[in-house]
Amino acid sequence: MLRRQKLGAPEHKRDPAAHGGTLSMSHNNTRSFFNFSQLVLSAGNLKSPPVLKHSKITYFEVEILDVQSKKQICIVDKVPPSSTLLDVKHKFHKACPQWYPSRVGLQLERNGPYLKDSVNIQSLAVSSIITLYFTDLGQQVGWTTFFLTEYTGPLLIYLLFYIRLSTIYDQVESTKNFRHPVVHLACFCHCLHYIRHLLETLFVHKFSGGHTPLKNMIKGCAFYWGFTSWIAYYINHPRYTPPSFGHRQVSLAALGFLMCEAGNHFINVALAHQNHSGSKACFPSPTYNPFTWLFLLVSCPNYTYEVGSWISFTVMTQTLPVGIFAFLMVIQMSLWAQKKHKLYLKKFYPEVRRKAAMIPIIF
Amino acid sequence: MAAAGGSRADNGYGSQQQQQPRRRKGPGALATAYLVIYNVVMTAGWLVIAVGLVRAYLAKGSYHSLYYSIEKPLKFFQTGALLEILHCAFGIVPSSVVLTAFQVMSRVFLTWAVTHSVKEVQTEDCVLLFVVAWTITEIIRYSFYTFSLLNHLPYLIKWARYTLFIVLYPMGVSGELLTIYAALPFVRQSGLYSISLPNKYNFSFDYYTFLILVMISYIPIFPQLYFHMLHQRRKVLSHTEEHKKSE
Repeated sequence: MLRRQKLGAPEHKRDPAAHGGTLSMSHNNTRSFFNFSQLVLSAGNLKSPPVLKHSKITYFEVEILDVQSKKQICIVDKVPPSSTLLDVKHKFHKACPQWYPSRVGLQLERNGPYLKDSVNIQSLAVSSIITLYFTDLGQQVGWTTFFLTEYTGPLLIYLLFYIRLSTIYDQVESTKNFRHPVVHLACFCHCLHYIRHLLETLFVHKFSGGHTPLKNMIKGCAFYWGFTSWIAYYINHPRYTPPSFGHRQVSLAALGFLMCEAGNHFINVALAHQNHSGSKACFPSPTYNPFTWLFLLVSCPNYTYEVGSWISFTVMTQTLPVGIFAFLMVIQMSLWAQKKHKLYLKKFYPEVRRKAAMIPIIF
Repeated sequence: MAAAGGSRADNGYGSQQQQQPRRRKGPGALATAYLVIYNVVMTAGWLVIAVGLVRAYLAKGSYHSLYYSIEKPLKFFQTGALLEILHCAFGIVPSSVVLTAFQVMSRVFLTWAVTHSVKEVQTEDCVLLFVVAWTITEIIRYSFYTFSLLNHLPYLIKWARYTLFIVLYPMGVSGELLTIYAALPFVRQSGLYSISLPNKYNFSFDYYTFLILVMISYIPIFPQLYFHMLHQRRKVLSHTEEHKKSE
């Protein structure tokens, strides 16, 4: 089934007539010239024996080349037309065990997009030989693992700073200084945010067996874990200064934060239900729940609420590092929202054209 | 920060376009005219700095404290390089905004936040080390861009652009690191640009620690950029040799 080198044309049966040899005919065996010619024709290359129509299956041969060197890695042959690209990846994995399916990126052209696993082989075929370019996508991790790792870190890191470890803060100062109620509230809000993320990863979001490079997970963890450490250090510092406008500023910001968290949750639930219902033919519509009414104004209300949460948290704690983190989140979310909005415009143009991507009316 | 060294990674226009035809169109007529003017002005500016250095050296007969003779034009033209970030952002130069910003900001940082801010450092010889490296590099680089835009690139400039960095880059980086190192005790003593808690923004910043981190950042970044330039040199100059042979 699998060969490392490309073989030549399929060998014919070792028949003397087929290879230009002479047929030894017995003189005693009298045959008509017609019968003899029929025998030669059926034995030779000139006419193939009749094949029953129902048993004819066209198999494809998939040639896999390295994207950079253009050298052949292997050939996957006898690929039935009903096969998907995932089947080819599995067969490729059997030949080259170091490259498991999720690690393999296949392209039709060297600088083209990566083909999806669900793509049917027949749709790619121009002839019986299909040439695909291979890229090693690096070590892969599942989306669930990715999000669980990314969100568990900040939850635990923040708590380490909250308990004011002696290795982080001066112990004398820690015991002497009174903690403002906003410090406890900030810890509650921060933990709530990441617990919600973790629970949604486990019970709301459904990841269709997708994978992402390990490199991305390391980057994501470095970003979230690093910023959490920076934020938590200042909020839980013995010399932390409470917000300028006191109780009113904290209360309003906390209320805004909780509303955004609730909104984000309900939007994610609505999106999950819309995806599971099977009919992806229409744009997600608002339900009786007021938190989902933001769908009337924007394409990606989950990003709107996420940004709202971090802006509220910034106002509540009045800490510059939180503000920097919120600013970076606004940039990141707006890029994602723009990308998603363009995708929605292609799919459901009339329903989306009047909507903004993330911030109502503005963006 | 380490990108500040003697050379700068390719800026998009120039030989790279000739050998790797991209789908992206070149800058329009107006943009090209503007870029030519910008690069001519910058070349002239750095030539002024070079002449200033030579004149001051001949007048003094010593290379000590030459910084004062070129302080103003150095600050002006090095800050003028910030426009390169905008060129990338507006797409008139097909180069990475992040990479260009990183490289330009590192030099601007060294000019203003270290050399200008810590007066005691200005008399040090290490300042001259990076100033000379920058001056030679920038004269070659901006003239390279100018001729590339005019489609009349002399081989000598091309060769200089992809060869002299071998010496100038380590020289520039050494000068920068030594200058930052020389500034450290004065920064610690004066508490320059440092913010301490408590304050209403709940944020602290120690400039001394920041400078140490900047110095450490040179370790991973400098080799990457240096080998990138060596790779570019191999690619560009070997391409030129092939052209000569075919002719």
